[in-house]
Amino acid sequence: MNSERKMPLNWKILVLLLAMSFLMTASVIAQDVAVGQATATVQTPLTVTATAALAFGTIFQGVPVSIAETNASAGIFTMTGQAGSGISLYLQLPEYMSTATGDDRMVISFSTTDCAIDTSANTDPTTFGNGWVNQNPFNLPTGVIIGGASTQTALFLGGQVLPSVDQTAGAYTADVILTVAYNGT
Amino acid sequence: MKKKNRVLIGDNSRNSLWGFFIILTLLAAPLSQLAAGVLVAPSVIVLQDKSKTGRMNLQNPSNSPKEVSISFSYGIPESDSLGNVNIFLRDTGITDPHSALGWVKAFPRKLIIPPHGSQVVRFIAKPPKGIADGEYWVRVVVESQEGTTSIPSASDAEQITTQLNMIMRTAIMLKYRTGELVASLELKETIVKVNETSVDVIVDLINNGNVSYVGLLECRLLDADKKIVSKNHIQLAVYKDLKRRVTLPLVEGNFKRPYSVAVSITNKGRKDIPSNEMVFGNDLAYFVGLNE
Repeated sequence: MNSERKMPLNWKILVLLLAMSFLMTASVIAQDVAVGQATATVQTPLTVTATAALAFGTIFQGVPVSIAETNASAGIFTMTGQAGSGISLYLQLPEYMSTATGDDRMVISFSTTDCAIDTSANTDPTTFGNGWVNQNPFNLPTGVIIGGASTQTALFLGGQVLPSVDQTAGAYTADVILTVAYNGT
Repeated sequence: MKKKNRVLIGDNSRNSLWGFFIILTLLAAPLSQLAAGVLVAPSVIVLQDKSKTGRMNLQNPSNSPKEVSISFSYGIPESDSLGNVNIFLRDTGITDPHSALGWVKAFPRKLIIPPHGSQVVRFIAKPPKGIADGEYWVRVVVESQEGTTSIPSASDAEQITTQLNMIMRTAIMLKYRTGELVASLELKETIVKVNETSVDVIVDLINNGNVSYVGLLECRLLDADKKIVSKNHIQLAVYKDLKRRVTLPLVEGNFKRPYSVAVSITNKGRKDIPSNEMVFGNDLAYFVGLNE
């Protein structure tokens, strides 16, 4: 004699539905977690790069040398970050360059049109893309943004050195400092 | 008969070509980073009164070591009458009671990051006792330059050579928060200027809260049927009073006059700042008619 009692079909269906419902709920919970993880905020870091130094080449006593901001020897800074974000730029420029020993110095000057800011992907000063040209490096334009398409903005800097007729021969150095800050955070 | 040598590009060849391009890209990537500066993240550092500590990550993606120094300045977005915004960094003579200059320290303050290396800089706040609830601000200035600077030598005894050291500074906002925080923005005035090819909307705002109001300002130029002629938005950070200008192009099309401008300000929807670091406040939304 078979002592096992068979479960009615209705009960079987009910148990099956309950099990399916439990599994579906578990699945929905799992999906919730997955969605939560997917919405994490990724912040774009701000990076300032000195791509090229302003290069005057070899200079001779008494012969001034000028480099335009559209010249291949212009100084180049590039800023990358959050596309379309507003940034404030500030340049600190030297008034003279000095020898390593400090025994002589040479005048360096920047005119009110020695700077250009390019918000396209371009980092070549000779092929300006889009932005501000002939800008005053001592008073940079407001409203500069990190390029929308390229997430990059470039600053080109020209200048002039004025060696005296009795300028000591040798190597002269100076610092050019660019400060960048997001103005929307 | 001359036999034509045709090269059939099968699946294997295609895979080989793709493989070649991938390897080329991987090899080219470091070359593009030869002159890269130091990566500074996050773009805003928030310190809470409970822990009083925070951190910042610096990364050197270049092939040369980078000398980095950390300093502090005070500077918040300030505007002129035309809505142009600038940040002026100051080290002395600061009268703003919300300045945290002088009581936030960084460790380390001078470091050399090796090529492709990274470094964590930690911050600790030691605020004066009994400061009011709200937010206190200071800029973290990260200065970097090449680790080794070579001064060029003149080839001729009579020649002069020059070397300009290009120094990069990134000024990141650090906010110290304590007590009950309130973000509240008030509209003072909206000026709309119609130009030949564009419309300038200058929004004058007052921060009535005790934290900076960080959000988005969106303007939409609408025609008589509320059809969008053009739209533009900017990121907004109001610390005190601030004027911001949004320029809307006057595009040609089948639009009915008169035009109006829909202005919307909210501090929801900023994707560059984690929501747990946002202090949410009121929204502003209104319309301004154009006098053409």
